[in-house]
Amino acid sequence: MSELDRRDFLKLVGVGAGSAAAAGCSDHVEKLIPYVVQPEEITPGNAVFYASTCAECPASCGLHVRTREGRPVKLEGNPDHPINRGRLCARGQSGIGRTYHPDRLQRPQKRGASGELEDTTWEEAIALVAAEIAKAPQKTQVLGGQTGPTRGQLIDDFVGAVGAGGRTVYEPFAQEALREAARAVFGIETVPHFDLSGADLVLDFGSDFLESGPSPTEHAGQLADARAVDTHDDGGARVIAVSPRLSMTVSNADEWLSARAGTEGILALALARVAIENGAGDDSHRALLGGLLADFDAASAAKKTDVPAESIERVGRALAKAKSAVALPPGVALSSRRAIDTTGAVLVLNHVIGAVGSRVQVPPASAGAQPSYRETLALIQAMDAGNVSVLLLHDANPAYSIPGTAGFRDALEKVGLVVAFASLPDETTALADVVIPTHSALESWDDAQPRPGVRSIAQPTLRPLYDTRSFGDALLDIGRAVSPAASGALPTGSWRNVLEAAWADTDWTAALARGGVFTDAPAGEPTALSADVARLEVVEPKFTGSGSHTLIAFPHGFLYDGRGANLPWLQEIPDNVTKVAWASWAEISPATAESLGVEHGDVIGVETSAGRLELTAVVRGGLRDDVVAVPQGQGHTVGWWASRADEGAPGEARGVNVLDALPAGVDERGGRAWLTEKAALSNTGRSRRIPTQQTHDNQRGRQIAESISLVALAEAAHGDGHGDGHGGGHGDGHGEAHEIREPFDPADDAHADSEYRWGLGVDLDRCTGCSACVAACYVENNVPVVGETESLRVRQMAWLRIERYIGDGEPELRAGRERMGPNTESVGDTDVRHAVMMCQQCGSAPCESVCPVIATYHSEDGLNGMIYNRCIGTRYCANNCPYKVRRFNYFDNQITKWPEPMRLGLNPDVTVRGQGVMEKCTYCVQRIAEARQVAKNENRSIRDGEVVTACQQACPTQAITFGNLRDPESAVSKQAENKRGYHALHVLNTRPGTTYLAQVDRGEVEG
Amino acid sequence: MAPPPAMPVADAMRPALPDGDSQANRDLLRVMEKPSLGYFGLLGITLLAMHVAGALWALMVYLGLGVAGYTHPIFWGAYIVTFVFWVGIAHAGTLISAILFLFRAKWRNAINRGAEAMTVFAVLTAAQFLGIHVGRMWKSYFILPYPNQRGLWVNFKSPLMWDTFAISTYATISIVFFYIGLVPDLAIARDRATGWRKVLYTALALGWQGTSRQWKSHSRSVLHLSGLATPLVLSVHSVVSWDFAMSIVPGWHATIFAPYFVAGAIFSGFAMVLTVMIPVRRIYGLERYITDYHFENMARFILLTSLIVGYAYAIEYFVAWYSAVEPEQTSFWLRAFGPYWISTWTMIICNAVIPQLLWFKKIRTHIPSLFVISTFVNIGMWFERYVIIISGLSREYDPAVWGVYTPTWVELAIVAGSFGFFATLFLIFLKLFPVIAISEIKELEIHAKAHGAGAGS
Amino acid sequence: MPSLLGVFEAPEPVADAATRLKNRGFSEMEIYSPAAFEVLDDVLDEKPSRVRIYTLIGGLLGVVTGYTLTIWMANDWPIMIGGKPFSSIPIYTVIAFELTILFGGLATLIGLLVVGKLPYGSFGKTDEAYSARFSGEEFGLVVECSDRDVAEVDALLRSHDAKEVSLVGA
Repeated sequence: MSELDRRDFLKLVGVGAGSAAAAGCSDHVEKLIPYVVQPEEITPGNAVFYASTCAECPASCGLHVRTREGRPVKLEGNPDHPINRGRLCARGQSGIGRTYHPDRLQRPQKRGASGELEDTTWEEAIALVAAEIAKAPQKTQVLGGQTGPTRGQLIDDFVGAVGAGGRTVYEPFAQEALREAARAVFGIETVPHFDLSGADLVLDFGSDFLESGPSPTEHAGQLADARAVDTHDDGGARVIAVSPRLSMTVSNADEWLSARAGTEGILALALARVAIENGAGDDSHRALLGGLLADFDAASAAKKTDVPAESIERVGRALAKAKSAVALPPGVALSSRRAIDTTGAVLVLNHVIGAVGSRVQVPPASAGAQPSYRETLALIQAMDAGNVSVLLLHDANPAYSIPGTAGFRDALEKVGLVVAFASLPDETTALADVVIPTHSALESWDDAQPRPGVRSIAQPTLRPLYDTRSFGDALLDIGRAVSPAASGALPTGSWRNVLEAAWADTDWTAALARGGVFTDAPAGEPTALSADVARLEVVEPKFTGSGSHTLIAFPHGFLYDGRGANLPWLQEIPDNVTKVAWASWAEISPATAESLGVEHGDVIGVETSAGRLELTAVVRGGLRDDVVAVPQGQGHTVGWWASRADEGAPGEARGVNVLDALPAGVDERGGRAWLTEKAALSNTGRSRRIPTQQTHDNQRGRQIAESISLVALAEAAHGDGHGDGHGGGHGDGHGEAHEIREPFDPADDAHADSEYRWGLGVDLDRCTGCSACVAACYVENNVPVVGETESLRVRQMAWLRIERYIGDGEPELRAGRERMGPNTESVGDTDVRHAVMMCQQCGSAPCESVCPVIATYHSEDGLNGMIYNRCIGTRYCANNCPYKVRRFNYFDNQITKWPEPMRLGLNPDVTVRGQGVMEKCTYCVQRIAEARQVAKNENRSIRDGEVVTACQQACPTQAITFGNLRDPESAVSKQAENKRGYHALHVLNTRPGTTYLAQVDRGEVEG
Repeated sequence: MAPPPAMPVADAMRPALPDGDSQANRDLLRVMEKPSLGYFGLLGITLLAMHVAGALWALMVYLGLGVAGYTHPIFWGAYIVTFVFWVGIAHAGTLISAILFLFRAKWRNAINRGAEAMTVFAVLTAAQFLGIHVGRMWKSYFILPYPNQRGLWVNFKSPLMWDTFAISTYATISIVFFYIGLVPDLAIARDRATGWRKVLYTALALGWQGTSRQWKSHSRSVLHLSGLATPLVLSVHSVVSWDFAMSIVPGWHATIFAPYFVAGAIFSGFAMVLTVMIPVRRIYGLERYITDYHFENMARFILLTSLIVGYAYAIEYFVAWYSAVEPEQTSFWLRAFGPYWISTWTMIICNAVIPQLLWFKKIRTHIPSLFVISTFVNIGMWFERYVIIISGLSREYDPAVWGVYTPTWVELAIVAGSFGFFATLFLIFLKLFPVIAISEIKELEIHAKAHGAGAGS
Repeated sequence: MPSLLGVFEAPEPVADAATRLKNRGFSEMEIYSPAAFEVLDDVLDEKPSRVRIYTLIGGLLGVVTGYTLTIWMANDWPIMIGGKPFSSIPIYTVIAFELTILFGGLATLIGLLVVGKLPYGSFGKTDEAYSARFSGEEFGLVVECSDRDVAEVDALLRSHDAKEVSLVGA
C-alpha cells in the first residue's frame, strides 16, 4: 500500500462520500462550478445592486437592479431618482422578463428564398443592409419610438452620415395633443409636465394619471403625500375626476363627474368661467369672459356635458377657493378629434387657477426630433408611393399599434428592405426582411431625459445572453459599412464611448453610481396666455360610425400600448378595475346590457366605421349608458405570451386589438385621436367565459376594506387615544358607527423570548389599487404564472392580491341583492375600496392547527411559516383560512409554465415550489433572514426599516409599512396604534399581524 | 358383560357427509357454489369500473390534482365527499353486529354477516380516498407518527390526524369482528369443502371444532368486542364530522355535526344494506333466512334516522338564522337558493321527504319499494356531503374570492370506480364466505326445534 | 384408555349427561356443538372466561399510550401551532380514546386465541372423535374412561337419549 498515501486516501473517501451525498440529495446531480478568478464585487450569495433606468415607458423611472451571481433577479426603484423616488410600478417590475424572455432574438435573421426568416451572421446582415442603403441613401428612412437623448442624437448622426432621407419618431401614446395645445395656449412647442405635490385640489379630465398617464409612479406618490390625512387634518388634496368610465384613477377620486365623452373641454372652460366669476385669475382672464369663455355658461355647458349645472357651479367655486389647484388634461382614452382644443381648454383653466409655473411646469421648447403621428402617416404614404427603399425600424411596433386603415402593412410591402432592430419578435419584426437582434434593456447602455434637470443612465447588468449587439453598436456598424465617408462622419468608438462622451460634462462614475444626474428643474419663466388662445375651438368632437355607443379604447393598465402583452406577469395580474386577466373585454352598463339582452360573459359585437369586434361583455355599473369601453394592448399574433402560443396555439391572437375598429384617427391638427367612433352593439347570442379573478365586489359589511369619514376620524382623534370605540363611518353614509378594532396587542403573538414580532401595515387611504405590489411579489417570490386556461379555473397563485370592493356592501345586503358580476358600482359613486390582501400572519392562525403534518406553524418571530417539503397537500389549511390567501400547486407550474431561459431570473433566495404543495406569503422571510445575518455579523439587532418587503418596496404611494411590532418606536407599531387602524375580519379573532388603516371618505368638494 | 359393538373409527370420522346435513348448511353453502354467467358478467363490470378509476388516478398523480375541478377557494371536492359517504356506509355493519347484539335483537342474525362484510369493504374504499385526495400522495406517509431523522412528529391537534387514527382503528376492529364471527362458519365449510377451498378454509378455521371451551371464549370475545365497537362506531363518524365542525368555515362550524353525521351514517348504512341484500336474497333464494320481517325492521331504522337527519337540516337553518351571524346566514341562504340549489333540494327530498313513505306498513313490507327508497337514500346521502362540503367552501368570509366548483369527468369516474371496488369485494365475498352467519341461524333453529318456538322471533 | 362418543340432537341432554358424568368422577370430557349454547358454556369449567382480562389490559394500555404518545411528541420538539398549548389534553383525548378501542380489540382477539386454544391441532387434522356432523346440527360428548367403566358410561349416555354411542380410539 505504499502508492496510496493518506492524502490520496482521504481524497478518495471525500469524493466517494460527496458523490454519494449528491446522488442521495436529488434525482439529477448538478455540478456547482466555483469561480476560478472571482470578480471582486461579487460574493456568492450576496446581492449586488446596479443603478439603471426603466425602459418600459417614457416616464423613465430610476432602477436599482438586484443581481445575484451576475444575473438580475429583481428590479427595484432607485430612491435617489426624482421621478419615482425608489418606487416602481407593475410594468417596471415586469421589465426583467424581457431579458430572460423565451422569444429572445438570438442571432441576426434575413428573409431567405423560401420567404421565411433564416438565421444569418452579423457580417452578412450588416453587409446586406449597408449595401442597400448605399444604393439609394436618400431613399433610406428611420422609423422608431422615442429614445433617450444620446441615442436620438446617434440616430440623427447616422441619418446625416449616410445621407438618409430622414427620421420619423413614432410613439403611440406620445403627448402630441398636449404639445400642440401648449403651442396654442402658451406659444411654446413643449410638453408641460404636471406636479401634484402640494396640490389641494386635483381636477382630472380623464388623464388616467395613476395607470397609463405620462408618469404614473411619480404622480401616485405626489398625490398620496398631498392628501395624507396624518399630515393634513383637513384631509389634504381632493380629487375630482371627469370621465365617462370609472377607471382605477377615477376610483381613487373623491368625486366623479361622468361627463359625456369628448366634452371635457367644454366643461373645463365652463369651470374656468365660474372660477373667474368667483374671483380666480387676473384681468387677462376676466378679459376671456367676453371672448373665449363667452358662451360657456354653466347652464349650456351642463346641457352639452351632461354634468349638473350646480356641480359645475360648485366645483368652479371650489377651484376659485383652492390655494393650489391643478387640472390634468385628457389622456389617450379621451383624445378625440378635438383633443388639442380640449387640452388647450384645460391648460387655460390651469392658467386661470394659477397652476401654470408651479403645478404645471412649462419647460422651454423641446429640442430634437419629437414624436409625430402626422409625419408617421406621411412616411407611410411615401412608402406606399415607393419612395422608400430601406426602412430602419427600432423601439416601436407600428405593424401592431397603427390602425390597419392607415395601411402600414401594405406600404411595408412596397419598401425594398425592411430592417427591424429588436430584442423580442413582434408583429413588425415578423414583416421585416432583416432582423437585427439587439441587447435587452438590462444588457445595454442607454440614457434618458424624462424632463429638464433629470438625466438618467441605464447600464448593463449582465453579460448578454445571446449573440446580440446594443442598438447603438449595431447602428454604428451598419453606418460604417455604408461608405468610408459615412464611417468618417460617424462618432468614433463603441456605443458606450459615444454615451460616455455625451456625459463628459458630468462625473461619470458618480452619475453611474447614483443612476444619473438630478438637478432642480430650471424654473420655467412665467408664461402668459398667447393670443392664439382665442382660436381654440372648444366644441363637441365629430364622431364617425352609425352606432349609439361611444367607443372608448382605453389603455390597459399593464399592457399600455401593447408592449406589455408579452410579459407573463402583466397578462396574469388581473386588471385593476374588472379583475379580468389574459383577455380583452367590452365594458357596458347594466342598462346597455338589458337593452341588448346580454349578461355578464356573453359575447357582443362592436361595429364601427372601421371594423367589427366580438368581445365578451363585462357588465358594470361604473360606466355611462352611452359608452362601450374596450382595453387596448391585446390581440397580438406574435409572442409567447402576447399570442396564445403558451396555450399551444402559436399565431392565434389573444383577445382582440381594438385598433382594428378604429380609423387612422387623426385630429384636426394631425395629432392622434382614439375617441372617434360611435359603435353599434349587437348580441351575438354566444357567450365566452374570460378569466375573471373576482366575481363579487360586495363585502356585505364584513369589515374587510373599511372606510372612515373625516368627521368620524376627527372624533376618534379626540377619543381615548387608543382608537377604541370610534366608528367606521361609511362612504355611503348609511354606516351606524361600529367597533373596528378588537382589544388585543398583535405584538404578543410571538415566542416569549423573541425580540421580534414582524408586522405589516397597509394604509388603504394611500393605496390606489395599482397592483405594483402584486407584480413585485410575483417576481421576488418566484410565484408561478399559470396562464389563461388555469386562470379561467381561478387557480392563480398570487400570494398577494388586490380586492376591489364597492362601499361596505350593507345597503345591497339589506336589499337582499345577490349580484354575480362585478357591477355594484353606480355612475357618480367613487366609494371603491382597493384592499391589499396577503397572509395576515395570524397570532392564532386557523390554518396552523388543522395541518396534520405541521407543514405550517408559527415561527418564533411571529410569522406563519410554510414548510414546503413537509406539505402533503391535504389543503385543509386553505379551507380554514378566512382570508383565502393560501395557494395550491395543482400542477407542476414551475416546470410546465416557465419556459427557458425564464428560470435564469428566478430569485435564488426563494424555494421553487413543486406540484401538490401549498404556498403563501411569509412577509418576504428571505429578506428578514438576509437582514438578520447582517445584524448578527455586526452584533446588533435588526433596525427599523432595515427589512423592506417586496410589496412595500414597490408601492408607489408607500401605502405599506413593515417592521417589528415589539419595537414601540417602529413605524409599523405606530401604524398599528393609528386611529384608522383595524384588522380584517376581526370578529374571527385570528389576531393578525397585518394592520389596515381605513380609507378616508372625504365627501364631496364644497364650493 | 359384553362390550357394545365397536364402530370403526373410520365410519365415525369421514362419511362424505352424514345424510340429512342441516338444512341451513345446505342452503347457505349453496350460495358459495359455482358462479353463474351473470355473476361473472357483473364482476366484469365492477372490475372494469375499478380499473378505469385506477388508471385515471395514476394519471392524476402524474399530472397533478389540476385534472380535478378544484378552484380557489374550493379546495375539497368530490373525493372528500365520497370519502365521507363510504365512511357513513361503513356504519351499518358494526351497528347491527355490536349494538343490536348488546340489545339482544335476535333478528340481526340474518343480516349481520352481510352488513359486517360491507363495513369492512366500505372502510377500505373510504380509506383510499384520503390518499387519492392529497396533493402529494407519495409523501402521504408523513401523516404517520413514525420516528425520523428530522425529529419531526405529527400534529395531533389536527382533526385530520384524529381521522387517521379513527379510520384505521375502525378498519382494524371491524375486520377482527368480521373474522371472529366467521370462524365457526369456516369450520362448517371446511368440513364440507374439497380441493383448494378445503385448504383455504382449513387454514382460516384455525382448527375450530365447536368444543364448549371454544364456544365459551368465542361468545365472550364477541361480547367484549361489541362493548368496544359500540362507542367506536359512534366516535368514528363524530371524528369525521369534526373535520368540518372544528374549522371556521361558515356552514361547517356547527356543534350538532357529530350526532347529525352519526345519524346520517346509520341512515345511509342501513339503506346500503337494503340495496345490497334485497337482490342477494332474491337471487339466492334466501327468503327462508332473511324474511320480510327483517327488512321491515331495517325500514323502521331508516325511518327513524331519516327523521333525525331531517331535524338536523331544519335546525341548521334555524341556528344560522338565530345566530344573527351574517356569513353563516348568507352561506345557508345560498345553500338553498345559490348556485348549489339543485344538490340541496335533491338532498332534502331524498333524505327527509321520500323516507316518510315508510310510515306505511304496506310500503315497509313491499320489497320493491323498499329497494327504490333505499336507493334514493343512498343518492341523497352522497349529495348531503356534497352540499355541506362544497357549498360551505364556495361562500366563505371573503366575498372577493367566492367561487363555484363543478367536478370533472375524471373525478366522477374515480368516484364511480369506488363503487366498482366495493361491489367487486362484495361479489368475491359472496362466493368465498357464507353470506349469512350459519351457526347463529342454527342456534335459533335448534333452539326452536327443542322448544318449538318460531325461528327468528 | 378408550373414549366413548355419544351423539345427541339437543344441547340440554348433553349438558345433563356431562354433569352426571362429572359427578361420577369422569374428568376427561369434551363437548362438540354446532352453535353457541349457554347451557354448555359452564358444564366443563365453571370459571368465568379469562378473555375479559385481556380486553381490560389492552384497553388500559391503549389509553395510557394515547396520552403519553401525544403529549410526548408535542413536547419533544415544541412547535407553536395556532397559539394553542403544547399539551392540549382535551384534544389528545380523541387519540387516547381511539387507541383504547384499538388495543382493547386486538387484545380481545389474542385472548380468544389463547383461551380458546386456537389455532387448534396441526394443520387440517382434527380430534379423532370430531366429525363433520358436529358442524351440522348434532352434538357430541366424548368421555375418556377405563375399559371397565365403558358399559356404565354407555348406559348413562343412552339414558340421556343419545342417538348413538360409539367407541373412539379403541
